[in-house]
Formats: sequence, structure tokens, C-alpha cells
Amino acid sequence: MSDVSKPAGFYALKSLTPGAAQLHRLSALLTLVLLILGFALASPAFLSVNNSLTVLLQTSVIGLLGIGMTMVIITGGIDLSVGSVLALSGVITGMSVKAGLPVIPAMTLGVIAGGLCGAFNGFVITKLRIPPFVATLGMMLIARGIALQLTGAAPISQLGEAFGTLGNGALFRVVEMRDNGFPRVVFPGIPYPAILLLIVAIGAAYLLRRRQIGRHIYATGSNEEAARLSGVRVDTTKLYAYVMSGALAGLAGNVLMSRLVTAQPSEGVMYELDAIAAAVIGGASLSGGVGGVSGTMIGAFIIGILRNGLNMAGVSAFIQQIVIGFVVIGAVWIDQIRNRP
Amino acid sequence: MTEHPLVEMIDIEKHFGGVRAVEHVSLDLWPGEVVGVLGHNGAGKSCLMRILSGAMIPNGGEIRVGGKTVEFTEPNDARAVGIETIYQTLALADHLDAPKNLFLGRELKTRFGNLDDARMHEEAREVLARLNPNFKNLRDPVSSLSGGQRQVIAIARAIYFDTKILIMDEPTAALGPSETAMVADLIRQLRAEGIGIFLVSHDMHDVFDLCDRIVVMNKGKVVGAHAIEEVSKDDVLSLIVKGELPADWSARNLEAAL
Ligand SMILES: Nc1ncnc2c1ncn2[C@@H]1O[C@H](COP(=O)(O)OP(=O)(O)O)[C@@H](O)[C@H]1O
Ligand SMILES: [Mg+2]
Repeated sequence: MSDVSKPAGFYALKSLTPGAAQLHRLSALLTLVLLILGFALASPAFLSVNNSLTVLLQTSVIGLLGIGMTMVIITGGIDLSVGSVLALSGVITGMSVKAGLPVIPAMTLGVIAGGLCGAFNGFVITKLRIPPFVATLGMMLIARGIALQLTGAAPISQLGEAFGTLGNGALFRVVEMRDNGFPRVVFPGIPYPAILLLIVAIGAAYLLRRRQIGRHIYATGSNEEAARLSGVRVDTTKLYAYVMSGALAGLAGNVLMSRLVTAQPSEGVMYELDAIAAAVIGGASLSGGVGGVSGTMIGAFIIGILRNGLNMAGVSAFIQQIVIGFVVIGAVWIDQIRNRP
Repeated sequence: MTEHPLVEMIDIEKHFGGVRAVEHVSLDLWPGEVVGVLGHNGAGKSCLMRILSGAMIPNGGEIRVGGKTVEFTEPNDARAVGIETIYQTLALADHLDAPKNLFLGRELKTRFGNLDDARMHEEAREVLARLNPNFKNLRDPVSSLSGGQRQVIAIARAIYFDTKILIMDEPTAALGPSETAMVADLIRQLRAEGIGIFLVSHDMHDVFDLCDRIVVMNKGKVVGAHAIEEVSKDDVLSLIVKGELPADWSARNLEAAL
């Protein structure tokens, strides 16, 4: 067979083979292990049960946001509104609880509010043809503004014990009563947020790999025009991704506010950067068509552990910002190198 | 011959601002017929074909399929009535492999609605092997394949499904001689099966070898529509370049008829 075509070499170089994607995930995993080793050596308390739980909780919020972000990034878009949507959803849940709604319906309402924010993003992007960066930047302000307006910028507290269960409870926790009347935790159990993250991760991986919508998400990000000509409903596919991202931001908001047992309208500022970093570190490409849930999970743990470890090592919050800023730029830079022909 | 043509395009128009890409074009296609669509770059061939495949919405005119008026608002509408298209740009998603591209938008599913990748892989292997026995890279993203292999995937996708009308927009542009010959064989075989084909091509040899009729476009208009026997290569070139037949054409044809 003779392939006289000119683009052959060009495409071969530009290609991102499955091997390359696996290699990327492997190196991310290695980075994660090195981080854990490094921080464990730097501060002995890092590996303690209590701190591990803190990391797990922190990571589950980044992970939930990161999974939604991954779907959006695979379509070739970006969602800068997740931090604000997280706050708005938490506030709506908190207000619903205050208004007398039981916790589960209230949380459902919060998640739906997040999904609606995502739907609005999707509408603006697909119907008004506004670039995702600008559309979701607008939503970042809108959702934050609504959250602050609704609460008068004051946190909503005294939400009751049931509200705190999702963020603070755990499965298989074993507590024994000591003679002095104080409880002692024999086995801390598996925190609910971690279980929630696992379920969402498995569900999202299933959607992306085994369902038509997942295939269409990849196709849309890979070549939107080709997907359209192949009969993929490109607009519906994008809308789906943004709704998922919004709803997962809502879920993350509920986890976080439940953890604090307070609805905080100013919570989640800049979380979108953690989510984007998690996705990109995990191998998602900002130019679309590439990414996956397992990679993003690794990325979320890297960010979560980095933040926590720097904390434990006594690095100031300002220095932390600087470090994370460089990590984000570094991750995107690696993405650029991978995509360079 | 059946009563109706497979497809009729009547008085089709398409403009982009001031650019008149397609102007008052009427065209039909009968079963088992290969119609060559010729013209300069920018003559409007791709626009006309995209209108017929539902990828572009015309500003005016009518399309009839099997005698019935149809309205295409998206490519799926055209596919639903058996119109398949090999786009000039191939329309492949670079990061997906050949089977995923072949079934894109029409994925096979299992009983539970999951993607049936095993079956899609198997089906793709068969249809690709029919077009090119050397096609092995079924798991590679198509961005890593050669132009010829990419073209084979686009062709496979257009003939795999229940095709009645096939639109081929410069299908051999990226192919070597042996693959071009394979495509020519394929066109003859599909014609024998009663499929109607629009073949957009610049290759005079292919056109005269394969087409029953030719339609020549120039600046958005049809400037000539002829049975292939009526014209010589020089006549066709004159139509393409000048937009008209050579002055002596009718005299020559009259002679031939007598
Ligand atoms: N999407 C578009 N937007 C604006 N102009 C277009 C578009 N597609 C085609 N055209 C213009 O329409 C004319 C016909 O183009 P095309 O049908 O691609 O020609 P051909 O396939 O015969 O080379 C050209 O002048 C081209 O620039
Ligand atoms: Mg063309």
C-alpha cells in the first residue's frame, strides 16, 4: 500500500497515543508517591490518621469539582464558575434547612441549583456562542453575587447535627465509651465524602467510557465539526458536560458546608484553579479530546496533599499560593508540550 | 428505471454575505448512476454537496428524495433517508480510533444501552479489510494514521450503513495509485448495486472512467450538464475554465449524431 499523503508524518508526531496517556498518568502517580514520602519525612504528623482524614476530605471536594471539570475540559471547554457555584449551592441548601426542609431534600435542592447554573453556562456557550472562558467567568460573578446577596454576606450557622453528617460522618466508625464518660474512636471508619467521591468517580468513568454520551464528549472535544457531521448533537453534548460540572460543584458545596456545619457564601474562592489543575495534572488536555477520571483523581490527590503537606510543614499561606500557582502553570505547560506538533 | 430519481435538487441557492456560493442549481440523480461534479476550486461543489448531506442549510430551493420533499436541518436527517457523505475534510475525530470513528453518532449498543465496543471493533475490522487488506491499526487514534488510511475510514463509514445515495467529495485526493484503483472498483460495485453516486473530482481520467454524466459548476452556477458520451476531455476543460463549451462543439456533436 502506498501512502503518498503529505500529512502522515505530521499526524504521527502530533498524535497522543494511548501509551502516552498511560505514561502521563504513571508519572503523575509517581509524583504523588514522592510527595507523600517527602511530606512524611518533613513532618511525622503528616501520616497520622487524623491528618489522613483531613487530606481525604480536602481531596474529595477537589475531586468532585475535578471530575465535572474533566468532562468540560474534554469537550474542549473550561468552567471557571465551579468555586462560586459551590458556594451558591451550599447557601441554598443551608437556607432550605433553615426554612425547615429536611436535610436530604435541602441538599438535593442545592445540587439542582448547581446543575441549573451549569445549564445556564451551557446555554450561553452553545446558543449565544460566547466562549466558555467568558461565559463561565460571568457565572463566577453571578453565582457568587447571588450567594452573597441571599445571605447578606453572613454565614448561616446552627444548621443542626443532621446537616453535618455528610461532611463529618463515616462508615464503619467504631467508637467505644471510656470509663470517664468520654468516647474513644477505635476505628475512624471511611468518611462519607470519600465514599461519595468514589461513587461519583466510578459513575463518571462509566459514563465517559461505556456510554454514548461519553463517546460524544470525547468526539466533540477532538473535532467539533467532524462530530457534528457524524451526527453527534454537539450542543446537547456540551450542555450535558456543563450541567454535570455545575451539579458536581453543588455536591462539593454540600460536602464542604456540611463539614463546616455552616453555609459560607464566601467559601470556595479560587477552587476552580484546583479543579483545573487536578484535571490537567491527570492528563486532560485544555485543547480537548483527552482526559479521564482516574487521572483526575490522581491530580486531585496531588493538589490536596500539596496543600495539606505545605500546611503541616508550616509553610505560610502566601508561599502556598505561590507554589500552587507554579504547579498550575507547570501542568498546563506540560499539556502544551504534549500537544505541540 | 424507477419513476422518480433518487434525489432531485431544485433551484438551490446558498450565499455567504455577498458571496454567492451556489446559485439556482438544479440537479438530479438516478439509481445506479454516477454523476461527476466538476469545477474550479471555489466553484461551489462542496457547498452543494454539503447542502444535500444536511451539513449546510440552503437559503432557497427544494430537495426531493424519492419524489417527496424533504427538509434537512442536520446531517442525521440526510442519513436517515440513506444519503451518506465522504466529506472533503474527512470529518474524523483525531483522538478516537478507527472503529469509534466509523460508528461515531451511530454507536452499536448492548441490551443495557452500553457501548458495544467489541462488536464495533469486529465490524470495523471486516469493512476496513474489505477496502484495504493491510489495515491493521484499529486501536490507534486516527491522528497517527496516514492520509490514505484516514480516507479509507471515511469511505468505510459511508458504505457500512444502508446507503442509497453516496456523496464523495474528492475521495481520492489523499490516496496513492493502488488505493485510487480500489476506490474506482468500489464505485463500480456500488453502482451495480443500484446506489446513486455524486463524485466530486478533479481527476479527468477518473471522471471519464467512472461517470455516466457530468455537471460542471462555475462561480456557483451550473454551466454544463452532459452525458459523458457527448463531451471530450477538452470540452469539459473548456467548461471548467471558461464556463462554456468550445464554439465547434454543437457542430461536432451533430456530426456524431448523424
Ligand atoms: N462556511 C463558509 N463561509 C463563508 N464562505 C464559504 C463557506 N464555505 C464556502 N464558502 C465560499 O463559497 C464558495 C464555494 O466554496 P466550495 O463549495 O467549498 O467550493 P469547491 O468545493 O467547489 O472548491 C467559495 O467562494 C468559498 O469561499
Ligand atoms: Mg470542495
